[in-house]
Amino acid sequence: MSTTLQEQIASPERGVKKNYLNADHTIASWLLTTDHKRIAVLYLVSISIMFFIGSIAAAFVRFELTSPYGQWLTSEQYNKMFTAHGVVMIFFFLIPSVPAVLGNFVLPMAIGARDLAFPRLNLLSWYFFVIAAVLMLATLAMGGIDTGWTFYTPLSSLYSDTQVTMALVAAFIAGFSSIFTGLNFVATVHKMRAPGMTWFRMPLFVWGSYATSLVILLGTPVVAITLLLVLFERVFKIGIFSPELGGDPVLFQHMFWFYSHPAVYIMILPAMGVVSELFACFSRRRVFGYEFVAFSSLGIASLGFLVWGHHMFLSSQSVFQGVVFSLLSFMVAIPSAVKAFNWTVTLYKGSVHLTTPMIYALAFLGLFLIGGLTGLYLASMDTDVHLTGTYFIVAHFHYVMVGGGILGFLGGLHFWWPKMFGRMYSEFWGRLSALIVFVGFNFTFFPQFMLGYLGMPRRYHLYAFAPEWQFYNVLSTAGATVLGVGFLLPAFYLTASLVKGKKAGPNPWGAKGLEWENADSPPITENFERIPIVTGQVYDYDAEEDSRLIRAELDDHERRDKAHLPGEH
Amino acid sequence: MAAHAHAESIEDSVYFQYETLEQQQETYILGMWAFLLTEIMMFGALFLAYTVYRFQYQRDFFIFHEQLDWKLGGLNTVVLLSSSFSMALAVHYHQIKKKAATLWCLAFTNLCAFGFLAIKSIEYGEKFKHHLFPNDSFVWDAALHGGNPEHARIFFSLYFVMTGLHGIHVLIGILVITTLMVLIAKNHRLITDYIPTEMVGLYWHFVDLVWIFLYPLYYLIPK
Amino acid sequence: MSTNTDTQDHGAHAHHVTPIGKLAATFGFLLFMMALTVVAARLPLDMPDTFGWLSPYFFVTNAIALGIAIAKAVAVVRIFMGAKYASKLIKLYAIGGFIWFTQLFIMFFDYGTRNWEEVRGWEKVPSSSLPRNRDSDAGIPYPVYPGSHAGSEMSGTSEASGEAGSGH
Ligand SMILES: [Cu+2]
Repeated sequence: MSTTLQEQIASPERGVKKNYLNADHTIASWLLTTDHKRIAVLYLVSISIMFFIGSIAAAFVRFELTSPYGQWLTSEQYNKMFTAHGVVMIFFFLIPSVPAVLGNFVLPMAIGARDLAFPRLNLLSWYFFVIAAVLMLATLAMGGIDTGWTFYTPLSSLYSDTQVTMALVAAFIAGFSSIFTGLNFVATVHKMRAPGMTWFRMPLFVWGSYATSLVILLGTPVVAITLLLVLFERVFKIGIFSPELGGDPVLFQHMFWFYSHPAVYIMILPAMGVVSELFACFSRRRVFGYEFVAFSSLGIASLGFLVWGHHMFLSSQSVFQGVVFSLLSFMVAIPSAVKAFNWTVTLYKGSVHLTTPMIYALAFLGLFLIGGLTGLYLASMDTDVHLTGTYFIVAHFHYVMVGGGILGFLGGLHFWWPKMFGRMYSEFWGRLSALIVFVGFNFTFFPQFMLGYLGMPRRYHLYAFAPEWQFYNVLSTAGATVLGVGFLLPAFYLTASLVKGKKAGPNPWGAKGLEWENADSPPITENFERIPIVTGQVYDYDAEEDSRLIRAELDDHERRDKAHLPGEH
Repeated sequence: MAAHAHAESIEDSVYFQYETLEQQQETYILGMWAFLLTEIMMFGALFLAYTVYRFQYQRDFFIFHEQLDWKLGGLNTVVLLSSSFSMALAVHYHQIKKKAATLWCLAFTNLCAFGFLAIKSIEYGEKFKHHLFPNDSFVWDAALHGGNPEHARIFFSLYFVMTGLHGIHVLIGILVITTLMVLIAKNHRLITDYIPTEMVGLYWHFVDLVWIFLYPLYYLIPK
Repeated sequence: MSTNTDTQDHGAHAHHVTPIGKLAATFGFLLFMMALTVVAARLPLDMPDTFGWLSPYFFVTNAIALGIAIAKAVAVVRIFMGAKYASKLIKLYAIGGFIWFTQLFIMFFDYGTRNWEEVRGWEKVPSSSLPRNRDSDAGIPYPVYPGSHAGSEMSGTSEASGEAGSGH
């Protein structure tokens, strides 16, 4: 800690210094980089493209549903649209979003390392991602797939005559991309911590990423081999999962959900870690019950492996096993609630600053709560009989995945943006788009709870038999439009900030953590001048002093925003 | 990479992200074990599928398994165990810095791996000849052997998938071991200590481990 | 970085070098167990060989085969792979992996208890339909022989369908 917080805020300008961005400008220096920060930027660009493509598919789906008569798309086209949306969003956006972008960038710095343990493996992971993404896009261009992202057999193996084979290969490769990232994180967290960085001095984001990585390591290979078996069944017509060939389709569902329920935690656990950072920083308090929040990540990760059967209550799964899975699913609510309560208590008596990242974090808390609590209806077997396969389940997982995963990602992106690129974005536009996202999101997905309760089945593109559902569907589509605007805005003002944004000091939020206190913005290629020695506790905020400083900083920033002064260069 | 600039001599070979050599070595070994974790789960899912069908079609599985040659399978087990032993020796010799002995042991391991694949391909050839590969031309002469032809499909599907995936691992092992031998022989800068050999060794022992379970589960099914 | 040369020496003897004798003994043990498992599997044990997984014969033979396999695996992991001499962290990962793998077998609770409660409709074997978009003549993906059991005993899931097979 060479400079105090005050000095850093007072004098953000230090002249043009070498950093990881301006170290080299050639294309090759980006495509062959082993720097975890550059790979994070590469990932950010790639997943943004995939997010855009997935959103277009979603737009088609929402547009089609404004009419009860299925006017615009054929059933086949509609099936391909929602499948494209699901596959692209899950495998190519949600799973890599927080770990591969924010985790890659922040995790080594947060524990005081110069890089991940295996930088070349990290680059390989990105290449695997790109190959998989290109394959998947080629699949979509060649006509798409109509199986849904779940690839249920025997539809995917024997019946569907769409491009399932290629999609399976793409998903398989994408799986290895995330395995490599997980492998890297595990080794890094175990072995690369700076002197003095004990397990209980690690930021909660690192805890979350570590738990996620374990889930990736233990779950992804299972789905990889399962998809491979579907592939073999499709290509060679060997019989594993299809009843026509003597196999058992429920076995596929077991093996698929053994990964795919934990995959939900792959998407949400790192986001939970992100908002833990945000709550601590913008309440100027240590996260209440730090140890409990840390262990609840591991608790969720391990319990999450024992609940997959709640997706199969209506398959021919044994009723008795269903009871056990139902009970275990309820138990996962405990560690999740531990987190939610501790975040709430962190806010209590903290000095809360409603910055853009904090608005995202608060939105996360509310929406994740709704998503989590509606999950309990689906975890109990009798209500699930009515609700499964309806829009209730669609609304539920969007509340968790979008309201949790994506908002966590956006919050983290806005939080670490100054660190990544050394520039502040417009706080006004940031807050505005966060609010638009929040409002649009609720308008999109809350009506879907209603629809699900009324019994509208998912994956239907016409509901002429119940035209009274149109009201909610139109409401949802209108909300989706607003949501789309909210997601599009950051693309503009964040990009603009790269050129016009005010230069950020090393620690514009006055946050605690090695990446803020010991590294420049943007950091040098080696992250730190010298490896920091950690002596203090984590989240060691001094609420009074910090809040005075950050308020001054933000006021200053807002004044500049209002005066439309171009940032200093 | 800047790290290589001062990694010229064999003695000073710590990548820039590590502080000490010991840290680097331990991290590599840990990374390898974490990778083996994923391998365990990957083969684990296949063993699970096997167990599900074995429980349901126990009698049929006994009938089908008589099509597999337990002598050839046993020979393959011995071959793989020997290769594993010589791999352990290779690590031992590399640890005490005996380069020639290391190379000889690795060569023997590779020889065994080739032998394994050769024997395996003889077995596969037999199955193909009798139309036991479960594709469109699959023929299960039920009248002759008994057993449900559908279950026969499943049995041979699992057999080919599991031994096939294992065979691919052996093939990758051959490539990796050959690369390692070349690098060691050339005193390449990537090989600065015995850790690469140890990592390849861990992988190879894991391949052996899978076969240890595959052999009794396919070739020695009790009645 | 300047401390590298110091730690070099520490690194050299921080790792255990397994003596050749120990490796050879392990190899011998593995070969012996391998012979044992072949003998045990082909030994005609005199037990009631009622088919199915409830027969004691099935239990004993499988327990022997798997027990031997596990013993061999433990030897390989401990000695060849050096888990015995490795750090606690490595041990944790090695043991954890094998424990986690057994978690997959939770699904046997499903297969084991499916027919505890009769569910209407499940007692019948679902009639297999031909996949769409495939030539109906060549479409049957496996040859059916007139003399085979395919018709009578195909009961896909002999466990799940319970008494349905006998009622056929
Ligand atoms: Cu689930």
